Amino acid sequence: MRASEEQLHAWMTGGLDGDSQAYTAFLRALAPLLRSFFSRRMSGAAGDVEDLVQESLMAVHARRGSYDRSRPVSAWAYAVARHKMIDHFRKNRREVSLESLEDILGAEGFEDACAARMDVGRLLGSLPAKQARVIRQTKVEGMSIAEAAGSGGISEADVKISVHRGLRALALRINGAKNADR
Amino acid sequence: MQTDDLIRSLAGDLAPVSRRMAQQRIALGLGAGAILTLAAIGLRLGFRPDLGVAMLGFSFWMKWLYTASLAVAAVMATVQLARPETSRLSGLWILCMPLMVLTVLAGIELLLTPATSWRNLLEGRSEAQCTLLVFVLSLPIFAGLVWAFRRLAPGNLRLTGAMAGLASGACAATLYSLHCPEAAATFVLVWYTLGMALAMAGGALLAPRLLRW
Repeated sequence: MRASEEQLHAWMTGGLDGDSQAYTAFLRALAPLLRSFFSRRMSGAAGDVEDLVQESLMAVHARRGSYDRSRPVSAWAYAVARHKMIDHFRKNRREVSLESLEDILGAEGFEDACAARMDVGRLLGSLPAKQARVIRQTKVEGMSIAEAAGSGGISEADVKISVHRGLRALALRINGAKNADR
Repeated sequence: MQTDDLIRSLAGDLAPVSRRMAQQRIALGLGAGAILTLAAIGLRLGFRPDLGVAMLGFSFWMKWLYTASLAVAAVMATVQLARPETSRLSGLWILCMPLMVLTVLAGIELLLTPATSWRNLLEGRSEAQCTLLVFVLSLPIFAGLVWAFRRLAPGNLRLTGAMAGLASGACAATLYSLHCPEAAATFVLVWYTLGMALAMAGGALLAPRLLRW
């Protein structure tokens, strides 16, 4: 079962005051939350996910002084996790593949996660209008393929192909830009 | 390593953390750097000999208030940025207020001065030297802030670096005015501001490397 925000907060503040049992409970409860946070956003690379979970736990520990007790502790921990994930993408910038881009775009909180690195609007603006529209609808706004097809008056196959082509063009563009500024 | 083992070892190494740890660490880094800067001013440059008299006058306080208010605003921004949830700042316009006030003062000063003497206002006795000195004197303070951030979690490294750079530049300029005899608002507006801007730019440039976590 997932620990509630109140429970996490109580454990974390206990830990900040030096109670190592409460702190252990906090980290134990946090680890699965981080694991699902990362696996939702990474393309199934289980090793990477566990590495990121551990890196985030270490960062949470080393930088726990940056937590403000009057704010939600989960938001703080997720902000640390997001930072670690962006750092991970930056380190492995050559490896942004079509699949992982699709996963990043598909995961909730996508804009937050990527705001530091790229401007979605600008990127989508560089695509043909139809591709940009269907990607925005299916990957950002969360419409189904059928809904996107209905709203655009095009076939479902057309939506799928446009999404695929658009994402491939974006992946190429991002990898190109990143390799260029190396 | 297994995640469970990691958790055990992290919890084994647990020291209590103060509620206001971010503020305290930033204050400590800032203070230690400021002491070094002050020592450098005292030992290498010397305090201005007329400091006691100057402190009775307007221009000393104008200069001091300009840099000190910038320093306070930039330090407050830096504290906010120490948390990973903060990736942008609201109220950045406050930083422009001291600049605007000083610009108005410099404008008045120029209006009251015959155009032939404007060069004196701008060049003073030391001109570009002040810019360079403000920048150099900001380095110990910036180093102190970088140290403080080793236990903090800035979400936006570049912005944090820029604010930390500006904070250290403005603190350095505030201390530097204990040495610098220049009195003209125009002079301060150009050369001091340039020195602080250099510190800010340096901070923004180096932060992704220095503050990375």
